[in-house]
Amino acid sequence: MVMQGIVSFLLAIVSSMLIDNVVLSRFYGICPFLGVSKKVKSSLGMGIAVVFVILLATLICWPLYHFILVPAGIPFLDTVAYILVIASLVQLVGLFIKKYSPSLYKSLGIYLPLITTNCAVLGVAQGNTDQGLDFLQAIANGLGTSIGFLLIIVTFSCIRVRLESANTPKAFKGLPIALITAAIMAIAMMGLQGLFTGVIK
Amino acid sequence: MEILWAILILLGLGLLLGLGLAIAAKVLHVKEDERIEEVAKRLPNYNCGSCGYAGCHDMAEAIIKGEETNLRKCKPGKEDNNFKPILEYLDSHPNEDGSKIKAHL
Repeated sequence: MVMQGIVSFLLAIVSSMLIDNVVLSRFYGICPFLGVSKKVKSSLGMGIAVVFVILLATLICWPLYHFILVPAGIPFLDTVAYILVIASLVQLVGLFIKKYSPSLYKSLGIYLPLITTNCAVLGVAQGNTDQGLDFLQAIANGLGTSIGFLLIIVTFSCIRVRLESANTPKAFKGLPIALITAAIMAIAMMGLQGLFTGVIK
Repeated sequence: MEILWAILILLGLGLLLGLGLAIAAKVLHVKEDERIEEVAKRLPNYNCGSCGYAGCHDMAEAIIKGEETNLRKCKPGKEDNNFKPILEYLDSHPNEDGSKIKAHL
């Protein structure tokens, strides 16, 4: 029983990380994905900041919805409440990074406060309650989604660093070739669809 | 009844989070050159970004660090309201080693 629980927890993480990848399959969080992927170091910082925010947002928003909003009869206010929580968390992360890594703070720039409006974060919080996941599943979903984001943004930035020095046609230099790269990565991710259908069913 | 709950809960949530942030801001406070804040105050504070920096605070930081000397980069800034007060302030607040921050119009 416990074993089964652990297996389904891990499966949920991997499935929301790779199969339903937040960036390349659900197309959430494209803004930082394109904006902060020029350097590997800043993309890593962004990814970790998003992991932190999504995890904490999941941990706070799920109980908030089920223990406060639903009993009070106002579940329709979920988006407003989630945004409140997420915005505060992002502020907190911003203060933290500013204190402990000013260089990272500088390289993240405007994209750091913009995590607030990163639809990946709100998408996870909203999806957790909309799909009626229990708390453990919600954590698995949050963990998987955010690690998926981290994985993809770092991979993408590694490719982009290589593209900088590659001999691309002038018209494709910079963002155009980055968008094409993202599209090819999304196609590659589609290959993982149905990876676990045999295991789960 | 619902609307009362809605107002109360969001109010409480906002208060709680605001309090948390206030404490965090105190704990995680970063000591900054206070001149940055003073120069930022004298900029228009539209945060339009037409100077090429992410906002007025960023430009003020660049001015204090000596990375930016051309105040005219601030497009909405007015000579009498913004630039002259900044120049006066920079003139009266030199660096620690006594050298003055260079800026011009």
